[in-house]
This record gives sequence, structure tokens and C-alpha cells, in this order.
Amino acid sequence: MSDFSQILGIETSCDETAAAIVVSGQTVRSSVVSSQIELHARFGGVVPEIASRAHVELLTPVVAQAVVEAGMENSDVHAVAATYGPGLIGSLLVGVSAAKALALVWDVPFVGVNHLEGHLYAAFLEEPSLELPLMVLLVSGGHTMLVNMKGPGDYEIIGSTVDDAAGEAYDKVARYLGLGYPGGPIIDELANEGDPTAIDFPRAMRNDGYDFSFSGLKTSVVNHVRKHPDVDAADVAASFQEAVSDVLVAKARRAAKEYGSKGICIGGGVAANSRLREAVLDACVEDGIQGFLPSRAMCTDNAAMIAAAGWYRLHSDGPSRIDLGANPSLSL
Amino acid sequence: MLILGIESATAQVGCAIGGHEGVLASCHSAKGRRHAENLAPQIDFVRRQARVELEEIAVVAVDIGPGLFTGLRVGIATALATAHALSVPMIGISSLDLVAFPVRFTSRLIVAVLDARRGEVFSATYRQVPGGVQRITEPQVLSPADLASDLQATAEDALLVGDGALRYRDDFADLKGVEMADQGLAHPNAASIVQLAHAQAMREEWVQPWELKPMYLRKPDAEINWITREDSK
Ligand SMILES: [Zn+2]
Repeated sequence: MSDFSQILGIETSCDETAAAIVVSGQTVRSSVVSSQIELHARFGGVVPEIASRAHVELLTPVVAQAVVEAGMENSDVHAVAATYGPGLIGSLLVGVSAAKALALVWDVPFVGVNHLEGHLYAAFLEEPSLELPLMVLLVSGGHTMLVNMKGPGDYEIIGSTVDDAAGEAYDKVARYLGLGYPGGPIIDELANEGDPTAIDFPRAMRNDGYDFSFSGLKTSVVNHVRKHPDVDAADVAASFQEAVSDVLVAKARRAAKEYGSKGICIGGGVAANSRLREAVLDACVEDGIQGFLPSRAMCTDNAAMIAAAGWYRLHSDGPSRIDLGANPSLSL
Repeated sequence: MLILGIESATAQVGCAIGGHEGVLASCHSAKGRRHAENLAPQIDFVRRQARVELEEIAVVAVDIGPGLFTGLRVGIATALATAHALSVPMIGISSLDLVAFPVRFTSRLIVAVLDARRGEVFSATYRQVPGGVQRITEPQVLSPADLASDLQATAEDALLVGDGALRYRDDFADLKGVEMADQGLAHPNAASIVQLAHAQAMREEWVQPWELKPMYLRKPDAEINWITREDSK
């Protein structure tokens, strides 16, 4: 088929080994995600060498499963898209190398995809009618940024974190409180039983510019627990979570106003956080703009978003060269 | 039976295609450690030079290490995907076997020594047998000084081969009856993979992609730290 509509996407930038088949950049036929959380849990964070080894082992079976679940044969794949950055270099190389080999043998185009662009496309997979321009809040363990999405392929990063990513702050606080890994879902659940107004944690740079800073917040959590060893962990979790969402939403909202966005959309692992989702929706209703919250599975790393972004790139820029390598610090 | 051989466990990356007529085409590059960038174009180039279609490949053979983790993984990920896409079996061959094989025409002890970085080497010992070499010690990672004292204890004439032997030549300089194979033989090469794998393929000694196991010989750092921490508790 000449329009390369059936794309196999591959995502290995961090600790999820994922493959998916997406038709015409819109219809998800399959999306397989094999999480390595258990492999990294005892270390309290992603260990790059362990992640890379697991990707080597898991990727081929995950690709095979994605094709089968799509009800397809290998010969139905019209192009192969893979994340080539940003991310962990060793992990990225596994996906890029495998994708190029598959494309070579199947004699179909290969296209390298920017992981962040994948997150931007995730929303459109579930809501193709989203109106632009859109203010996208990308928050995960690896990135925290506000992106003004003006059109397909036309983005502007208007703010990002100056220190820790939001997800990193969750992991560090959870580790400090001895709650385990990964921090996001654990704190989210514990916060349900706590009082979000119990402790007034600082909101760094809340009303000032579009950049974020979370290391001060992490430090005040540590200091507070040290000073009050008997504090209720649920109150700490809820108050910490409140401070994070408050800053994220305040900035996204202000940015949406300034840039004339038709709506706010969230993406990345932290976008699965229930308090953040609630706060974004409330803010959008109040401001009379669209609020779009992709499903949790589409917020966290997956390969469907890579296939979707790959479809767009293939049609706008053509295939990538087969000597493409990985770029761990690729920006949007 | 056509074999595609892939090799990327050291500072070099290469591939070759061959079968019962020997190696039909091969390619390698040693510049810049651009394994991921170079390997796929090399495969395409080599298959054109060999004038075969990739569909004609019956077995994908790959260096499974030990070696430098990142390069090794590029080769294995590429080989796994290639074998999967072609629906063919695989043969994994150790990098140490691969450097020992080309120097097999000696009655001395053959010691494969590859640079493992961080002041260590990967090593195993071989003897010539009809048609090849036989490994007589388990592959291990150790310091060049420890390897030198092992060799001294053996008190046998030995030929050291591999980039690790050359890098740490000073550690072996005082040993009697020890000689170094030169730079041209210091890295595993894809042509040797094809030769060794072809012999195995004729005996159908292959594995399915999900059975192929990389030989890392070293645990990830975090795991080493973890084990040390647990032990000291
Ligand atoms: Zn991500």
C-alpha cells in the first residue's frame, strides 16, 4: 500500500518495552506494553543497564504480540517507527537497532520518532477532533514541560523544569517516606486518606514564568518529616501532591490564557495522577476552555503514540535514514 | 545454507554473509564506535555485494559476548529482529571463541583476551583441534595481573590474542614463552562467525530467538552494589 497506513511502533526509551500497530495515525489496532517495574523496584528507580538488558529480551516477543493482537501478519506492516530520543541511550539503541533490522528485512520504510512528539500525539489518538492551538502539559519521571502545540509538527516549549522532573519528585518523596517504587501511584493512593491542606508546602515559582522547580518541595517534605516524625504519612502525601498539582495547573492555565489555547491537554506518566486530572478539569471548566485527559494507558509510555507520530513524520518528512542512531538528549 | 553473521561486541562492528562456498561478502568498521548507526547499512551493503536476497538467509549468527555492553546489545537486538522478521533460527557464538579461531594453527595454548574496561579483561583458554579450537576454560572476567599469574602457573607456551592482550601487554611482558598476536587479529570478526556458525548449522545446532542468551559476565553496577549491601547486612 502506498500510503504506509499500517505502522508498527516501537518504544524503548526508558523502562517500558512497547510495540503497537496503528492505522493511518489514528486507529490503534494493538498496543502492547511490557513494564519492567518489578525489575527496578528494589533499587527505587530505573537502573539503565538492567533496563537495556530487559529490552533485548522482551522486545521481539512484544513486537510479535503486537502484530498478532492486531490480527495481522508481518507482511501487513507498511512501515516501522521507533523512538530514537530522548531517553536512556542503551535502551533507545535496542529499539532503534531492532526497528531498522525489521524495516530492512521487510523492505519497508523506517522512521525515527521523538518520544516527546509521541506524547503530544497520544491525545489525538483518543480525541482526533481536538482543536488547536493546544497547551500541553507533559509530566513524567523524565520530563516536565509546557508545550504550545500550534499545529501538527509545530510546537514550542514555553517552560520546563530547572531541576527535578515532577515524576522524579514523586519517586524521591516516596522513597524517603519508605513507601516503595514507583512513587506516583503509591502517593496517589495514600493521598486519598490524607488531608491536602494539612501541610502548606512551598509552591516554587508558581506565579512566575513557565519554568518549574521541584527540588525545593522535595527538600521541605524531608525537613517537615524530620521535624515532625509522628506526622501522618497520608497527610504528607496529600499535601505534597496538592502542591505539585497546584503549581502544574496554575502555570498551564496562565499559559493557556496568554497563548490563546483552545484547551489544555496532559500527557506523561504523572498525567495519570488523579489529583492532577481533577485539577486540570476544574480549571478548564472555570476558564471555559477544553480540558482533555487521555486515558491512563495513553498518558504513560506506549508505542501507539510512537506509531501515530511516526505516521505523521513519514508523511511530512519521509523515512529516516537507515544510519540513524539514538539521541539521548533529543529535544522537541 | 546461507548464514548472516553479526559482530559488534568490541570497538568494531561488522557483518558477513556466507555458506558452504565460504564467506561471500563481509564488512567492518572500527571508527567512532558508531555500532547502531553502521550495522543496518552494513547488512544492506553486504547482502548486495553477496548478491543474495535477505529472504535467502537460513540462519542469523551473532556474537553473544562477552564484550562492551552497548555495542553487544546493538548487535544482539539487530540479530534478534532480523531472525524474527525472517522466521529463521539463530546461532550465538562467544567473542572469545571468535578471536581464538583465526589463530588456531598453533600447538601452543591459545589465550583469548578481550578488553573489558575498568582495568579488567575477559578471557578464556583454547587448544587447537581438527578444524578449529576447543575451549578448555570457562570465560571469565579478571584483572590482567591475575591472568598473568594464572599463565605463569600454567608454565606452558601461549599465544595471547585480542585487544585486551595488546592493551595490557606490559602485564604479560615478563612471562616466558608468551607471544602476542598482532593488531589485525585483535577483534572478533564477522567472517569467523559465518565460518563457525556454518559448521554448527550443518549439524542443526541452533536456537530459536527467545532461547538466545547474551554472555555479559558482569552484573549491572546497581546489582553489584545491591549484593554488596545485602551481604554486609
Ligand atoms: Zn515519556
